[in-house]
Amino acid sequence: MSFFIQVFIEGIALGAVYSLVALGFVIIFKATDVLSFAQPALAALGAGFICYFATEAGINFWLSLIIGIVLTGLTGLFIERTVLRQMVGEPVFSVAVITIGVDILIRTFLDDWIGDEPRFLGDSFTSYGNFGSFSIGDFNFKYLEMAGLFVAFVVILLLNLFFKKSRYGLAMLATSFDQETALAQGINVGRVFGLAWFIGGLLAAIAGFVFTGGFNTLTQLSFVLALRALPAVVIGGLDSIPGAIVGSLIIGVTQSLAGYYQYPIEDYFDINLGLGFSTVAPYIIMFFILLVKPEGLFGTKEVERV
Amino acid sequence: MKDRLDFYNSYKDEHRIFNNRVQRFWAIFGVLFSIYTLIILNDVWLFLLTLAMMTTIGAWGLNIVSGFAGQISLAHGAFIGIGTYTAFVVGGNIGSSVLSYGLDMAIWLPLSGIVPMLFGILISPVTSKLKGLNLGLFSIGIVYFVLHIFQNFRTVTGGSGLGRKSPDFVLLGFNFENGITIGNLVLNESNLIALFTFLILILSGFGVKNIARTKTGRAFFSIRDRDIAAEALGVDLLRYKGTAYAISSFYAGICGALLFTFTGGVEPNQFNFVYSVTFIAIVIIGGAGTVLGPLFGSFFFILMPTVIQEIIHFFGLFEQSSFLNLAQIERLVFGIFIIVFLIFEPRGLWGIWFRLRNYFKAWPFSY
Repeated sequence: MSFFIQVFIEGIALGAVYSLVALGFVIIFKATDVLSFAQPALAALGAGFICYFATEAGINFWLSLIIGIVLTGLTGLFIERTVLRQMVGEPVFSVAVITIGVDILIRTFLDDWIGDEPRFLGDSFTSYGNFGSFSIGDFNFKYLEMAGLFVAFVVILLLNLFFKKSRYGLAMLATSFDQETALAQGINVGRVFGLAWFIGGLLAAIAGFVFTGGFNTLTQLSFVLALRALPAVVIGGLDSIPGAIVGSLIIGVTQSLAGYYQYPIEDYFDINLGLGFSTVAPYIIMFFILLVKPEGLFGTKEVERV
Repeated sequence: MKDRLDFYNSYKDEHRIFNNRVQRFWAIFGVLFSIYTLIILNDVWLFLLTLAMMTTIGAWGLNIVSGFAGQISLAHGAFIGIGTYTAFVVGGNIGSSVLSYGLDMAIWLPLSGIVPMLFGILISPVTSKLKGLNLGLFSIGIVYFVLHIFQNFRTVTGGSGLGRKSPDFVLLGFNFENGITIGNLVLNESNLIALFTFLILILSGFGVKNIARTKTGRAFFSIRDRDIAAEALGVDLLRYKGTAYAISSFYAGICGALLFTFTGGVEPNQFNFVYSVTFIAIVIIGGAGTVLGPLFGSFFFILMPTVIQEIIHFFGLFEQSSFLNLAQIERLVFGIFIIVFLIFEPRGLWGIWFRLRNYFKAWPFSY
C-alpha cells in the first residue's frame, strides 16, 4: 500500500507540472482561439534560456531563472505579434499548423545551441539530500518534484486571483466569451491576445525548468515531455481551466501508475505492453474520454447553428 | 464557338477531366515529356523525382480527407506506416529474422492499400463523431499509439532502432533489377521503378480528379464547408466521412509501400508525429483542396533541399558551417515556408499557379 501511495504522490507531482503546460494551452486557446503547438518548444526554450544565463553567462541561478522565464514570456508575446496577429479570423486548423511552423523554427535554433551533450541547468537541486531527494517515514520525495508541485499550486492560485480580481483577467474572460462583443465594450482585444501568449510563455518556461532541472537534463528531446500534456488538455476540455488541472492530474497519475505497475500486470496477464507504455497510456484514456464526452470532461459543449 | 475555351454546352462537358483542348494538349505533352525525362535521366535527380512522385500519392491521400472532406488528420504518417509494414510483411524476402512471406508485388501493392483502408474504416465511427481540433488531437493520439506498437512489435517491424529491410520490386515474376534493353535503349532498375511509379501516379491522379468531380467529391466538399448543413441536405455524414478516411488511407498505404521499398528499408521511429506534420506541410504549401496542389507541394518539398544545397555549393556559402549545418537549414526553410505560405498564400503553390495561368489566359488584356 505504501508503494501505491508513493507512486500516487509522484503522479500528482508530475500532473501538477503538466498542468502548467496545459494551462498555457488552455489560456491561449480560450483567449485567442489558437491551439498552440509551439508550447513544447517554448518550454524547452525557457529551460534553454535559464541554462544559458546560469551556466554560460555566469549569473546567479535564481536571477537567471527569473530572466529566463520572463524572456520566454516575451518570446510568446513576440510570436503573437509577428506571426499570429496576421492570422486572426483564419480557420483554427491553419493557425494550429502555423504554430507547428513556429515550433520547428524555435527548436532548430535551440537544438543547434544545445548540441549532443545533455546540459545541466545549473540549479542546486541535485546537491540537496540523497540524490536530490528526502524521506519522510517510508515515503521518498524528490526536492524538484515537490518544488514543482508547490510552484504549480502557487501559479494556479495566482491565475485564479488574476482572473477574479484584475481588470485584465476580466478582460481576458470577456474576450474568451465573445471577441467582438468584448471589442464593442472597449476591451483592447489585441492586448489581451498578447497577454495570453505572454502568460502561456511564462507557464511553459516554469514547466520547462521543472522538467529539465536537477538530474533531468536539457537535451534535444526535452520538448517531448511538454508535448505529453496535450492529452491532458483534451481530457479536461480545451476551453476549461479547471479541466486542464484535473486532466493533468489524471495524466500524471496514469503515467506514473502505468510506469510502476506495467511489469506486475504483464506478468499477471502474460502480455507484453511494450517499452515505454506509460507514455502511451494517457492517450488511451484520452480515446475513451473523447468517445464518451467529445468536448472533454469540463469543456463547454459547442452549440452549432446551420 | 470552338475557340471559346470556357464555353460549355452541357454540365457533362464542363465536368470532364480535361475540359478543353488546351488542357488536353498540355496533359499529353506533360505525360510524354515526363516519360522521356524518366528514361534519359539516371542520377540523383531521377532518385528525387521518383521520391517526389511517391510522396505525391501520400499527399493526395491526406488532401482527400483534409482538403476535400475537411476532416483534420494528423495521423497520416501512421496510415503510411501500416501500409508500409503490410507491404514488407507480405513481400519481404523469406529467411530474414522478421515475419515475411516473399510474395509478388502484384499482391503486396494492392494489399498495402487495402489494410490501412480497413483500419481507416475501423476508426471512422469514432472520427466521424469528432470535429475540428478535437479530431486533430484524437489523431495525434493515434500517431503515438501506432508508433508505440511499431516500436514494440518486433516480429513485424524489427523493433525500434533496428528496422527491417524492404521487399524487392518483383512484378509478376519480373525483377526490376534485371532492367530492360529495347534496341539501343537500356532501362536499368531506377528507370523502371520511376516509370512504374509514374504509371501509379497517373492512375491515382485520375482517381483524385474523379473523386473531386463526382457525387462523392461534392458530398466531401459540402461536409467540409458546413457539416450540419450537409447533413440537413441529406448527405450521410457517417458514410462519407468513413469513405474519405478509407480512400485517404488507401493512398497513404500505397505511398508508404512504394516509398520505403524504394529507399530500401524502414525504422519504426520514421512514422513519428513530425512525419505526419510533413505531409500536412506538403498539402498546405501545395494548396489544400485542389487536385494539382499536393503534386506541386511534394515536388517542391522533395526537390527544395537539394536545390538549396546546390545553391549553397555554387556560391560556396556556409562551407565552414560555423552557424547551422545543412540539415538545420533545411528544417529552418521548412518551418519558414509553412508560416509564409499560410500567412501570405493560403492557397499555396496552386494559388500562384492559378493566378499565373489566368494572367496568361486573358493576355494581353490581363489586369
